[in-house]
Amino acid sequence: MSVATAATEAVRAPAARRRPRRRLRLLVVFVLLAAAVVYLLVEGLGSSLDYFDTVSQALAHKTRIGTTVFRLEGVVVPGSVHRTVEGADFEVSGGGHKIVVHNAGSPPELFQPNIPVVVVGHFTSSGSDLFVSNQIMVKHSATYIAAHPTRVRGPSGKIVR
Amino acid sequence: MSGRARTVTRVTGAAALVTTALTVWLGLWVTPPAQIQGTLVRLLYLHPPVAWVALYCAFGLAALSSLLYLWRRTRSLFWDRLGASAVEVGVVFTALTLVTGSLWGRPTWGVWWTWTARLTSTALLLVLFLGYLALRRVPADPDVRARRCAVAALFAFVDVPIVTFSVDWWQTLHQRGTVLNPGLTLKVHGSMAWTLGLGFLAMTLVFVWMVLVRYRVEVLSDRIGDAQLEVSLSERWAEGPTVPAATGDAGPPGSDGDGSAGSPLPKPVAEPLGGRR
Repeated sequence: MSVATAATEAVRAPAARRRPRRRLRLLVVFVLLAAAVVYLLVEGLGSSLDYFDTVSQALAHKTRIGTTVFRLEGVVVPGSVHRTVEGADFEVSGGGHKIVVHNAGSPPELFQPNIPVVVVGHFTSSGSDLFVSNQIMVKHSATYIAAHPTRVRGPSGKIVR
Repeated sequence: MSGRARTVTRVTGAAALVTTALTVWLGLWVTPPAQIQGTLVRLLYLHPPVAWVALYCAFGLAALSSLLYLWRRTRSLFWDRLGASAVEVGVVFTALTLVTGSLWGRPTWGVWWTWTARLTSTALLLVLFLGYLALRRVPADPDVRARRCAVAALFAFVDVPIVTFSVDWWQTLHQRGTVLNPGLTLKVHGSMAWTLGLGFLAMTLVFVWMVLVRYRVEVLSDRIGDAQLEVSLSERWAEGPTVPAATGDAGPPGSDGDGSAGSPLPKPVAEPLGGRR
């Protein structure tokens, strides 16, 4: 190798080393940006992405909520459901508290006692615990259990009890 | 396509067909109705497996291929094509996730659609990867396009963990994971559980088959593009040189040793032609 080529090699070497370093820097910037997006979504938006307030949250923030429309989540109290001409009256419970709901509009198919629901509506006044809603959504659980686990099939293939 | 690749595609396709048929049979006839949901529970064997394919198989593969493309040691158009194929299949599965979810939501929740975190982030995912597909259509040099798309795929992939954890981070109407929950406890049992498992396998096989076929289409369309360029170049060559200065020193076709594209023309002539296309 001549002196001239050795010199060019020496000049070229740092440049070649600089490229991966720039790549690494780009990668670090990219990862930081991605982390920032996730952080902003989780922390910045935070609870504003919550779909509903639970019964205890709604009662705790009652003065702030006033009569504005929001979504309220609670479990339908057994024995409290009364079908009305308009829809249904019932109570929802959560965290040891209860709220009386007066709903206009027919409830969905799966609406029944002991099921968690999200109702859309508002308190009638800041002093009252009566919640007037015009929509019920059923919030089902992630657990799936066979309806009749004790049922067995007979030799004919028909279900027998 | 080599004979082996063809066999792999065929076997995967057949396996996908058989497992899907089995899932339909078990899901519709063998498994019992559930408490509360009754017969609506049968969507369990379709909706989560479709979402699994969209989020983790398709976009996971797309993100991995993009990384391997951007990584200089593994850079190859193979990863670009594989990533693009995975995204395209993923977009179809994301749309199916939204459709099956909507069909399930109406009778169970009472609404076709609502802006709860899980649903909103999934819709955003669809839009992000549709953006990726739009970006692929922007005319550019193959390497430039591949790099752009790889970065776009990685950016869009950020939404995948957001979709996954949306039900844990926020209060949403969508229930939490039946399989992918914080404790990783399976919340479904017996024949319902293994039918769900089979559903996951079936949809994954459908995904693999679709990606294999889509990858082949990508290779073929690239080949057609090259062939068309070659044809128009040779037609132009037959018309006779229009730029004497550029063709003056050109040897006979194919003699310059630059057989990369199989083009019979030296580069200087290809330049003005490229502009004419």
